[in-house]
Amino acid sequence: MKAFRFISENCDLCRKCEEACALVCGSSKKKSGTYVPHIRVMQSPEGPYVRLCKHCEDAPCVDACIGESLQRGPNGLVIQDEDRCIGCFMCNMVCPHGAMKTIMSQEKAFKCTLMCGKEETPTCVFACDRGALFFDDLRTQNNQKRRAKL
Amino acid sequence: MMNGISASINSRQHVIVGNCIAAVSAAETLRKLNPQDSIVIIGEEDVPSYSRCLITYFLGDMITRKHLLSHDTKWYDERNVDLMLSTRAEGLDVKNRQVFARQNGRKKKIPYDTLLVATGSTPIYLPSFPYDPDGIIGMRNYADSVKLKSWAKKGKKAIIIGAGFVGLKSAYGLVKQGVKVKVVELLPTVLGRMTDMEASARVRARLTRHELLDIELNNSVIATRKHDDGYMVTYQDGTEETCDFIVASVGVRACTDFLKDSGVDIDRIVMVDDRQQTSVDGIYAAGDVCRSRHIVSGEWIYNAIWPVAAAGARVAAANMSGDSLSYAGNIPMNSVDFYELWITAIGNVQEEGPDVEEITFNTPAIYQKVKLRNGVPFAFMAIGNVDGAGVIRGAIVGKTPWEEFVRRPHAKILPVVNQYITDPAATADA
Repeated sequence: MKAFRFISENCDLCRKCEEACALVCGSSKKKSGTYVPHIRVMQSPEGPYVRLCKHCEDAPCVDACIGESLQRGPNGLVIQDEDRCIGCFMCNMVCPHGAMKTIMSQEKAFKCTLMCGKEETPTCVFACDRGALFFDDLRTQNNQKRRAKL
Repeated sequence: MMNGISASINSRQHVIVGNCIAAVSAAETLRKLNPQDSIVIIGEEDVPSYSRCLITYFLGDMITRKHLLSHDTKWYDERNVDLMLSTRAEGLDVKNRQVFARQNGRKKKIPYDTLLVATGSTPIYLPSFPYDPDGIIGMRNYADSVKLKSWAKKGKKAIIIGAGFVGLKSAYGLVKQGVKVKVVELLPTVLGRMTDMEASARVRARLTRHELLDIELNNSVIATRKHDDGYMVTYQDGTEETCDFIVASVGVRACTDFLKDSGVDIDRIVMVDDRQQTSVDGIYAAGDVCRSRHIVSGEWIYNAIWPVAAAGARVAAANMSGDSLSYAGNIPMNSVDFYELWITAIGNVQEEGPDVEEITFNTPAIYQKVKLRNGVPFAFMAIGNVDGAGVIRGAIVGKTPWEEFVRRPHAKILPVVNQYITDPAATADA
């Protein structure tokens, strides 16, 4: 299974990923009526960080969704049926990555469902030319983490 | 009847009593792990599974009937699950491994190899407001919401006893139907122990801004009686009030009736172990019917929330399939919105003590509060801006010291953290 990887040191807050996400992703454009991207690059004294769905293996949001809007898709990704969202924000209450986009005026929560890249290369990763955002195999990532520890 | 040995070779029969989230979550896992076994779901209602948390939204016409009834019979067919609707489990024979049930008046015996008790909970009625199918009901299932909707069309005034999550959500739904609603609560705060006085005042102010809605705290109902076409309610302070119907929402109790005298250990709720197994081998329980662990303290608590039912049932189903998994539990929490005012509460924010300190962020639009014990957060509550609440939940569950937590990048999403790190006094010694 593939997952997002963010390298804070390489990010210079150019926000190309955000732009690309907002412009390409049908879900964040059409249904919410706003251009708030699913990926949000934030600034902190420790460097930039991203708010983006990690499509967790043990996703707490899927368990917490009382409207059964968030579901585990056939490919293992966490997908969302936006019409079923009733805006209780239970998902936001349990997401440890702060990934849920809570749009109050819509009374709905939105998240990345990887609709843009059709699971190969998501638009945000394609747009990043600083080498800060990747979408690769979880196993490769874990190997790299292990290597970093050694 | 199959015995234990043949059951492990031949296909087994898994029976699930109950048909809400714990049941469908378990059925899904059971099917995945046991393609050959037969799965039976015994449901008391006449509709397939749906989210019980959504019935108040259905009551207020915020969602359609089609939206509410999310699982059709096709869902069961696709997973080859035998669904028995309008069937009430009435007894249990542990020795011969069978459930006694009644379907449309006809008695049935359903044999099982493993059994999952997922009967959930039912509203509590007190002698001062007993159950009355014509005017005093709780809000728990689809039939209740349909009934309340029909009463709302005729009636003009409703009294809701209890200002917990169900009580306020019901009030919200009834007001959307144009019914005048009065909510009476014994406690000094709304939403139970998940809010403090300030938060309670904000929620109450937002709700009662609507002319049809009134919330009275520190009061309770001591008697109800029929009066004309409706009811007369007597309060603690002696005053009386008339209404067309009454909604009881003072709490829930576990539906353990069919387990009576079966040998399954019950102390108001079903006593399960970490594997979700009851005191009887082969019988498991999940959801609102049983206890679960508080993930931080490790104590057994009654935590009747959706995520616990969904995750606990999955663990039960894996163990019913021969696995040996444990469920770590969860923390009491809830999240809701009323007229675009969001409230998220995690843990018991009313807890006091000499070693408890609190950090508050208070502006006219946003109110957030974190409670710490020995420098470790254990409860959080947010009103107005609940963005990123899960990040702090991660710290509560992971017992992360506050000093360490505030240095994490994602912690800065929360206003209560942001004010803390920009406070010169707080960062002076960092």
